[in-house]
Amino acid sequence: MKKDKEEKLYWRRLDNSAKIFPISTGKKYSTVFRLSVVLKEKVNPKVLERAVISALEEYKSFKVRMKAGFFWYYLEYNPKDPIIEKERDYPCQYINPKTNNNYLFKVTYFENKINIDIFHSLTDGNSGTLFFKEIIYNYLELMYPEVFQEERKSRKIEYNTEDSYMKNYDKKAKSNASSKRAYLLRGNKIKLGAVSAIHEIIDLKALKNESKKYEATITQYLTAVLIYSIYEENYKKYNGKKPIKVCIPVNLKKYFPSKTISNFFSYITLIAEMNKEHLDTFEKIIEFVKSDFKKRLTEEEIIKTMSANVKLGNNPFIKLVPLELKKTLVRLSYIEIRKYTTTTYSNIGRIGIIGKYQRYIDYFLMLIAPESVEKIKCSSCTFENKMVFTFTSILNDNKIEKRFYEFLKDKGIHVDIESNGVLDDISSEIK
Amino acid sequence: MIYPQKLNSKKSDILLKLFMLISIVVAILLIVINKLTTPGIPWAALANSGIIYTWIVLFYSIRKNINIAGHVLLQTIAISLLTVFIDYKLNFKGWSINIAIPIIIIIANITMLVLTVVSHKKFLKYAIYQLLIVLFSMLPVILITENVVENKVLSIIASGISAVNLILTLLLCARDVKDAIIRKFHM
Repeated sequence: MKKDKEEKLYWRRLDNSAKIFPISTGKKYSTVFRLSVVLKEKVNPKVLERAVISALEEYKSFKVRMKAGFFWYYLEYNPKDPIIEKERDYPCQYINPKTNNNYLFKVTYFENKINIDIFHSLTDGNSGTLFFKEIIYNYLELMYPEVFQEERKSRKIEYNTEDSYMKNYDKKAKSNASSKRAYLLRGNKIKLGAVSAIHEIIDLKALKNESKKYEATITQYLTAVLIYSIYEENYKKYNGKKPIKVCIPVNLKKYFPSKTISNFFSYITLIAEMNKEHLDTFEKIIEFVKSDFKKRLTEEEIIKTMSANVKLGNNPFIKLVPLELKKTLVRLSYIEIRKYTTTTYSNIGRIGIIGKYQRYIDYFLMLIAPESVEKIKCSSCTFENKMVFTFTSILNDNKIEKRFYEFLKDKGIHVDIESNGVLDDISSEIK
Repeated sequence: MIYPQKLNSKKSDILLKLFMLISIVVAILLIVINKLTTPGIPWAALANSGIIYTWIVLFYSIRKNINIAGHVLLQTIAISLLTVFIDYKLNFKGWSINIAIPIIIIIANITMLVLTVVSHKKFLKYAIYQLLIVLFSMLPVILITENVVENKVLSIIASGISAVNLILTLLLCARDVKDAIIRKFHM
C-alpha cells in the first residue's frame, strides 16, 4: 500500500540534455533512436510482453510518462503497462504517447527482430542499451528457463537517475561552439513521409585491418568513408561551398565517473573544409579526420561543449520563461541551429552480452531519426564479428549509401545489406 | 528479412503521379458530363473542389502524421452535414442528398481504397474507420428506400463503389480487420 503511494508520487526532473528534446521535438523532428536485436529464431510476442514488464520492474526509471510543468517538462510514475506491437511503421517515428499508454519508448517486433524506439528525453543510446539488454535477457530467460537458471539469480543491476551534467560541468569553461553553417545534403526527399533504413553489415576483422593501415580507429575510418561518400555523391554534384560538418556524439561516462541511467552524452563536430583544405581524395580526408578527432576529442574540449549546454539550461532568464513560450523560442532557434550540421554519426560500439545468451543473437542494429535538415543520419554498433553501419534517410536516392558500400567492397571488406525496401537495393546494383 | 517491406519510393512516386493523373481525368470528365447533361447546375465544380480538398487533406495528414482514415471519416461526415445545411438554408432543392453526399461518399471510398493499396501494412490503424465509412456510405441506400432521393443514379453508384471497396478491403486485409474488431470491442 505504502509502496503504491510512493510510486504514484514519484517524479523527477529531466536531465540537462533531456530538457531540450520535448521542447524542440515535433512530428518532423522526432529525436527518437532505435535499438534492434536480430535473434536466431522468431520472436514470441507474448513472452516479449512479459519480458518488457519484468525489465520495467528492474529499471523503474523507465516506467514513467512525461508531463508539462509551468517552466519545464518532468517525468512521473506511469501506472499502466506498455503496449507491445508488431512492427508496421517506419523506424524512429515520433512516439505518439496515446498509442503506447504514454510511455516514452515503444517496443515492437518483426519476425526474428525486437525493436525499442526511445525518445531521447528518457535516456541516451548507451543507457538505452542497458535497458534493452535487460529486455533481451528477460526474454531469453523466459523462453528457456532451464538454460538460464543460474544467470537469472546472479545478474546485478546498478544505476541511479542523477543529472551527471550538473555534477561535472565547469562553470568557468568557455564555449567552443561553431556558429558556421554547414553544407546541407541536397536532392529530392522521399514522398509520403517514408523513411529509408539501409544496414551495411560489415566484417569487423577485415574493417579493423583496413583501418589499421591508416593508423585510424574504426570510428575515424568510417567517418572518413562517410565524408568521402557525401563529397563524391552529393557535394561535388551540387557544387557545395560550405564545410561538411559531422556531429559525433560522445559517451561522457568514459570521461567522468557516473552510474546515471539518464542522458549523459556530449558531442564533437568535425568541420571538413572540402574546398579550402583541398580534401578531394580519401587519403586526404582520413588524414583530416584523424587530426580533427585529435584536436576535438580531448577532455578539455568536451567539458567546454558540455558546460556551454548546461549553462544555457541554468540561465536564470531561460529558467523563468514559461514552457509554452520556451517551446516557441527553442523551435525558432532550432531552425537555425540545425543548419550547423551536415550529418550525425553515432557509434555506440560493442554491445556486450553475457556468454550464454550470445548464441541466441545474430546481430544488433542502431538507428537514429533523420529530419528535414539532416536528411541522412548514420549510426553503428558491434556484436561479435559483425559491425552494422546504418543509414536512415529521407533523401530519395541511395547514392551515398551505395558509394559507402562500394568503397568498403573495393577494399576487400565483406559487407551484407539489409533494408526496409524504401530505396532500391544497393547490393544488387553492383556490377 | 528484418523489416516489413515498405513500398519502394520509385513505385510510390509512380502511384502518386498515376492517382493525380486519374484525378485530373475524372475532373475533366465531370466538367464535360456536367456541360452536356445539366448545364444549369454546376455540380462538377462542387465535385472537383472535393477532389482538390481530398488531396490537400491527404498531404496535410501525412505531414502531420495524423491517422488519415480517421480524418477521412470525420471530413466525410462534416462536409455531408455542411452541404445539407447549405441546401436547407437555400430552400432545400435536394442537391445535397441527390448529388453532393453521393459524390462525397465516392471520394471518401476512393481515398480509402488508395490508402489500403498504398499502405496496407498500416491497415490495422485504418480498419475501424474504413468500416465506419462503409456504414456511412449506406446512407444513400436508406434515402432511396425511404423515397427521399429523386436522382437515384449517383446514390446507387456511391453505395456500389462502397460495397466494392469493402470486398477489396476484406480480400486484402481480412486478418487485420478481424484483429481490429477484436481489439476495439474486447470485453
